[in-house]
Amino acid sequence: MLAIRNLNKRYGRFQAVSDLNLDISEGEIFGFVGPNGAGKTTTMKIICGLLRATSGEITLDGTDIIQNSKSIKEKIGYMPDFFGVYDDLKVSEYLEFYASIYNIKGQERKRITDDLLELVDLNSKREAYVDSLSRGMKQRLCLARSLVHNPRLLVLDEPASGMDPRARFEMKEILKNLKGMGKTIIISSHILSELAELCTSIGIIDQGRMVISGSNAEIMQQVYNKKVVKLKVTARLDDAVLILKEYPFVDKLVIGENTIQAGFKGGDGEMSRVLSGLISRGIPVVSFAQMDGNLEDVFMKVTRGEEEQWA
Amino acid sequence: MGINPVLLKELKVRMRGWRAAGIIALYLLVLTAVAVFIIYTVFTDPYTSSIDPQVSIGAYTGLAIIQFILIMFIVPALTAGAISGEREKQTLDLVLCTKLRPISIITGKLFASTSQTLLLIIASFPIFSMVFLFGGISIKEITQLFGFYMVTAVTIGSIGIFFSTHLKRTTASTVLTYGTLAFLAFGTIFIGVFYIRIFYQWDYEKFLPLLYSNPLAGFSSLLAEQFGYYGGINSFLGLSAGLGRNSNAVKAISPWLGNIIFDAVLSAVLLALSAARINPVRKGIFGFLRSGRRRKKASGN
Repeated sequence: MLAIRNLNKRYGRFQAVSDLNLDISEGEIFGFVGPNGAGKTTTMKIICGLLRATSGEITLDGTDIIQNSKSIKEKIGYMPDFFGVYDDLKVSEYLEFYASIYNIKGQERKRITDDLLELVDLNSKREAYVDSLSRGMKQRLCLARSLVHNPRLLVLDEPASGMDPRARFEMKEILKNLKGMGKTIIISSHILSELAELCTSIGIIDQGRMVISGSNAEIMQQVYNKKVVKLKVTARLDDAVLILKEYPFVDKLVIGENTIQAGFKGGDGEMSRVLSGLISRGIPVVSFAQMDGNLEDVFMKVTRGEEEQWA
Repeated sequence: MGINPVLLKELKVRMRGWRAAGIIALYLLVLTAVAVFIIYTVFTDPYTSSIDPQVSIGAYTGLAIIQFILIMFIVPALTAGAISGEREKQTLDLVLCTKLRPISIITGKLFASTSQTLLLIIASFPIFSMVFLFGGISIKEITQLFGFYMVTAVTIGSIGIFFSTHLKRTTASTVLTYGTLAFLAFGTIFIGVFYIRIFYQWDYEKFLPLLYSNPLAGFSSLLAEQFGYYGGINSFLGLSAGLGRNSNAVKAISPWLGNIIFDAVLSAVLLALSAARINPVRKGIFGFLRSGRRRKKASGN
């Protein structure tokens, strides 16, 4: 759906984005992760036609974004990381204003406004002035605004930044709803755990370069070159550890109270052999599953100067 | 094609609250005070008859001048923050990422402030209609005058919006808008006087085209043309006398018409530059040259 090829953005001598390549398929939730100043916002602004790229190409459904910015903007909804609101406008009028920009009129405009306020749980605030809303509510309203023309691609820049835990949870629930509606979403954050459970794939950007991208499992595989399996036993933890150490494709073990995390260099066949080995020797295994892994570790690992290994 | 959504939103927001009503009330209060003052002065003058048409011409010109000055002061305040204010409030990107074209955003902002000015002008109709009581003023003159007001308001608005798009801060934009107006109104006269006095160039017709850019010159020439070149307020700032007599340039085109043409061209240029400025993916002249060179190179390969 969205293809970015050799994207570069330079501000004077500063290279904000460097040879960035990315493919996002229809219905994908792509988590764009990176430390502050990594180039996430710049890339997102270029996708939304708010910045001109120095070089490179971005296509949406095969159509060049820069050459066809007006028609493309109808397909993209953008929520910036920092934004303001109009003082003297009510919540429903705010959405109606943006709907009117897309020539949505009359009853349809009213219906869309109602649906979006329902989606972001602001129905009770429809007659309130936008300026009087809390930060979390304003973020949700801004998300509703970005959906007003029913875009196929949503670009959300740090949608939960500055929110308290409750508001963060509510935002996550809304995003899950959007995922259920089949929207393609690019969502950025500098907090990886925020995105891990929501995204179908993740890209880690650092100093303007895409360090690594893929599904959570693929990233784990690329970074650690192994799978991580977590198993739980009801007894004989020490015996289980000794048995696991007998297998050459099992390396690092992290031992908990009655759990073990084991790194696997092999595939599904090797995992199956280990499980049957444990059971045949009478270890009471109650769960045995592959973990998504700790993406925070991955993030720290790939953004601390080891990118040449992953690029 | 519907009404510009930015214009609709701006009108709704601007007319909300006490501010809009306060501006209208204050505006009418000033005009009424001037009208009462003029009438009182005329009626208490033992040498003036109460049914003399000169009374209405005096009242008309007095009110016209005050209204013109008020417009020159109010319009910059309404427009100089149009875009810089959106930037300061971080709302500009939200509009720019929609399918709305930059020129629509600019014209929406301009017409919103012009509409507010138009409202002030319309609200002043009852005060102006007082001059009809004494005769001597026709609908044609009032229409010409109000048309001139609107053209001037659009031009000043365009200047305000131009600075508002090019400067980050509303304060700086407001200062430069008033500064530009001061230059057009007084700077151009100063240049003319400088030219005449320093270089002893008494054929001041040569600098008359410069005065086409002067809103005061245009305005006073309109009044002068409506009621003759001599007497009373017609020698406003001394400009109409200079513009009116023995001037070949004036014979070719009335200064107020010249001023309207200048205003139209200036507004079009400033609005186009403003729209280009807020277009986030604009190429700029160097960008066009670079991409042209790139295209040439590509076709050569």
